[in-house]
Amino acid sequence: MRRARVLVGVAALAVVAGIAGAQESYPTRPITLVAPFPPGGVADLTARPVAASLEKILKTPVGVVNKTGAAGAVGMQYVATSRPDGYTLLLALSSISIIPEADKIFGRPPAFTVEQFAPIALVSADPTVLVVRAESPWKTAREFIEDAQKRPGQISYSSSGVYGTLHMAMALLEHAANVKLRHVPYAGAGPALTAILGGHVDALASGPAVVLPHLKAGKLRALAGWGEARMASLPDVPTFKELGYPDAEFYIWAGVFAGKGTPEPILTRLRDAMRQVVADPDFKGAMDKLETPIVFKQGEEFQRFFDADARRLAAGVRRVGRIETK
Amino acid sequence: MLTTNRAAAVALGVLAVVVLFESRKLPLGSLHNPGPAYMPVLLALALLVFAILVGAYGGASRALGAVGWSEWRHAAAILGTCAFAAIALERLGYRLTMAIALGFLIGVIERQGVFVTLTLAVALAAGSYLLFDTLLRVPLPRGPFGL
Amino acid sequence: MTETVHNLLLGFSVALSPPVLLYAFVGCVVGTIVGVLPGVGPLAGISLLLPATFGLDATKAIVMLAGIYYGAMYGGSTTSILMRIPGEAASVMTCIDGYAMARKGRAGAALAIAAVGSYVAGTVSVVALMFLAPPLASFALRFGPPEYFALLILGLLVLAYMSSGSMVKALAMATLGLLLGMIGIDQMTGYFRFAYGVVELGDGIGVVPVAVGLFGLSEILATAGQETPPAVIKPTLRELLPSRQEWKDANWPIWRGTVLGFLIGIIPGSAHIISSFVSYAVERRLARRPEEFGQGAVAGVAGPESANNSATSGAFVPMLALGVPSGPIPAVMLAAMMVHGVSPGPLLIKQQPELFWGFIASMYVGNVVLLILNLPLVGVFVNLLRVPYPLLYPGILVFCILGVYAVNSSVVDVWIMLVMGLVGYLLRKLEFEPAPIVLGVILAPMIEMALRQSLAMSDGQYAIFLTRPIATTLLAVGVLLVLLSLKSLVTHGFDWRERIAMAEKGEEL
Repeated sequence: MRRARVLVGVAALAVVAGIAGAQESYPTRPITLVAPFPPGGVADLTARPVAASLEKILKTPVGVVNKTGAAGAVGMQYVATSRPDGYTLLLALSSISIIPEADKIFGRPPAFTVEQFAPIALVSADPTVLVVRAESPWKTAREFIEDAQKRPGQISYSSSGVYGTLHMAMALLEHAANVKLRHVPYAGAGPALTAILGGHVDALASGPAVVLPHLKAGKLRALAGWGEARMASLPDVPTFKELGYPDAEFYIWAGVFAGKGTPEPILTRLRDAMRQVVADPDFKGAMDKLETPIVFKQGEEFQRFFDADARRLAAGVRRVGRIETK
Repeated sequence: MLTTNRAAAVALGVLAVVVLFESRKLPLGSLHNPGPAYMPVLLALALLVFAILVGAYGGASRALGAVGWSEWRHAAAILGTCAFAAIALERLGYRLTMAIALGFLIGVIERQGVFVTLTLAVALAAGSYLLFDTLLRVPLPRGPFGL
Repeated sequence: MTETVHNLLLGFSVALSPPVLLYAFVGCVVGTIVGVLPGVGPLAGISLLLPATFGLDATKAIVMLAGIYYGAMYGGSTTSILMRIPGEAASVMTCIDGYAMARKGRAGAALAIAAVGSYVAGTVSVVALMFLAPPLASFALRFGPPEYFALLILGLLVLAYMSSGSMVKALAMATLGLLLGMIGIDQMTGYFRFAYGVVELGDGIGVVPVAVGLFGLSEILATAGQETPPAVIKPTLRELLPSRQEWKDANWPIWRGTVLGFLIGIIPGSAHIISSFVSYAVERRLARRPEEFGQGAVAGVAGPESANNSATSGAFVPMLALGVPSGPIPAVMLAAMMVHGVSPGPLLIKQQPELFWGFIASMYVGNVVLLILNLPLVGVFVNLLRVPYPLLYPGILVFCILGVYAVNSSVVDVWIMLVMGLVGYLLRKLEFEPAPIVLGVILAPMIEMALRQSLAMSDGQYAIFLTRPIATTLLAVGVLLVLLSLKSLVTHGFDWRERIAMAEKGEEL
């Protein structure tokens, strides 16, 4: 009898050890972090320091793979449909909430849905900033908005593409300030920046890091930001919230996601790892060089941020609707 | 008599019509605000015109049968191997897929000896993997057994 | 002037320091490998190796990446000439006459001319970059959508000169290429066109799978099954070098290609491949014996290869002078700079003279290194041709699939290559030219976007093309060219069928 109890005890211990061991043993293989944008872009440049730090912390190679296409849809769909075993992660930008809505408007089956992902952590959240050329007549955001109200459809702005992040930021502003602007889409953030520098459009909503050198050189002027608070790199630039347009809130944020259905223990491990990543001095240094402040949110906080952002963007996309072709 | 020009003209014409048909679902827009269907429709119409011109005035052409098709079986085999590679690449992993493809091409199609086939197949598959994945850090798909 | 010389000396002191020299060399070697491999071009090479540079300081990183860029341009001609497989998209034009030269036993000459042409173009364009960067950059920025549209329409005219056979057939192929370029997301409205639910087609069918499939795979399909395999060419040493006549023939095309390529490269958003297409067309137009083109004309190799390389330096002009990404490759280099804490922008030259001048100096050095690397390699590469074809082509096939896959880690690209290979094979049988298709695939989305952006800018007014001086000038030049060629038709009394084709082309434009 006693032997039986010992045996049962040993067996129980073995089972528990086995389960614990299975949890401990993640990760056993190299992990892939999918960056759905081409190399050199914001997502890519954020993904690489994240991967490097994760590699140190999880002690397994973490490789960045650029699966580009369709404004990020290809890479995001890839992760959404991969096996949720924690070995394929996604570094997504805010467009993750935009693309399924855009698909819905066009009546096509969505490439993926937001529910197919399990959020791990938010890493950065740059508010966009409204820039105009230095020679333009508007010195403040208020002048700009008033002029836009007087001349609807005359002031032009460039963007990285329809329903892209830079377009949606402006769309939110148009709705919040009740103005109508003229949209000239370009194929990416780079060409959009080139367009305003060349004087072909009047305004641009851009991520702060890329325009900073031009602001400093005096070629562009920043009027206002879409954030909740002023940007550390541009303390003199007011936010639209301050100016009385709280609905104009938009961030180009980057966060790490896993597929929905990834086992809880693995998710927990990843969340712990991400906490350590943002504390890593190498990571901090890399983000500093990119002039991108680290904004870290996890768990409840991230979920709330993500949901609120998704709601805003979905409403914005629906308002933009299908582009009119008369 | 079916000449190469007429065959090509028919093929291009059919393609043009298919494009026109598919473009119906997209808004055409106007001259001042062209929609997504504008350029495709314009181009498809141009293609139709050119197809007709090729068929009628394309210059000297030979009878379809006179064109040498002798190697078509070979070409089909090569295409089939490529298709296999495309299907298997991300499932079986790079090295395994390439080794099989090469083995098939060198051994079965080109009928080289077993030794030559095996050596070349393995060497090329492993060597190219080494060059790209290890040295140049281009991620190549890994299949079962980590291959 | 003296300041420039002083800065240049500063630059050389940086560039010739052993660590920087080492990285430039590594970059050149890697670039050559990347260029030789089918499909994988400089963009893929730079993107893939960008992470490897994170541990280095800014100057070394930029120098290495630039070396890769240059090396790829040099290396891309090798497979084009030897096997008619474009090493990267911009080498497509070299496939035509370069391979023809190889078939005639002049492979070594073609490779040598390509290398020397690339060297001259690279060096001269770096000099231009040095002196002319800031003023040229400001000029380049003034190219907006209307100017693009006018320029690209001019580019379409180029198509007319690319055919060695019937004009109508070439135009049909061009239209086919333009249509293929319509696949993908419409950037102006967000509609998916002709993608049938395949998300990977959202950005259109890439030019790399199309080029590799149309030229490389179709070549394999057509040649592999021949009863008499292609004769193995065993050139002697003397045959490896170009003859005096060939050098003479290459001279002017190299210079013209250099200037042309540099100018086209400056314009933000223009693709390299356009510079080689335009150079080919210009050489053809100016040649005394245009019927040689397609059969192994030296100018058909010298011009495009030079244009290629000087477009590389041209692309750096807006990037270095203004911090503006003029294309995907400069964008990645700008990102590399940002990652290393160097903020690109108009003040870069003033604030970071070591970086700028070190970069320029290392480009000189890089060109010399590549010339030294490539010339002896000519002998090595030509020996590859001695391998019996039945053993050679499976290897080539593997590299084609690998190269096409590696660009985007996408199997869909491999499928596209397959389909285009079949199409290329059929086109060969039916005696159509594949080259206009490649140009069409590139130009179509650009022309459409430029037109619709222009109309968006002007709220639907077509007058915008006439109110902007650069655009108007370009359009006027285009109209002039069309009129001139029509006039030559009238005076030479072309075949009436050809005249119809020319008139059709005039109306289309």
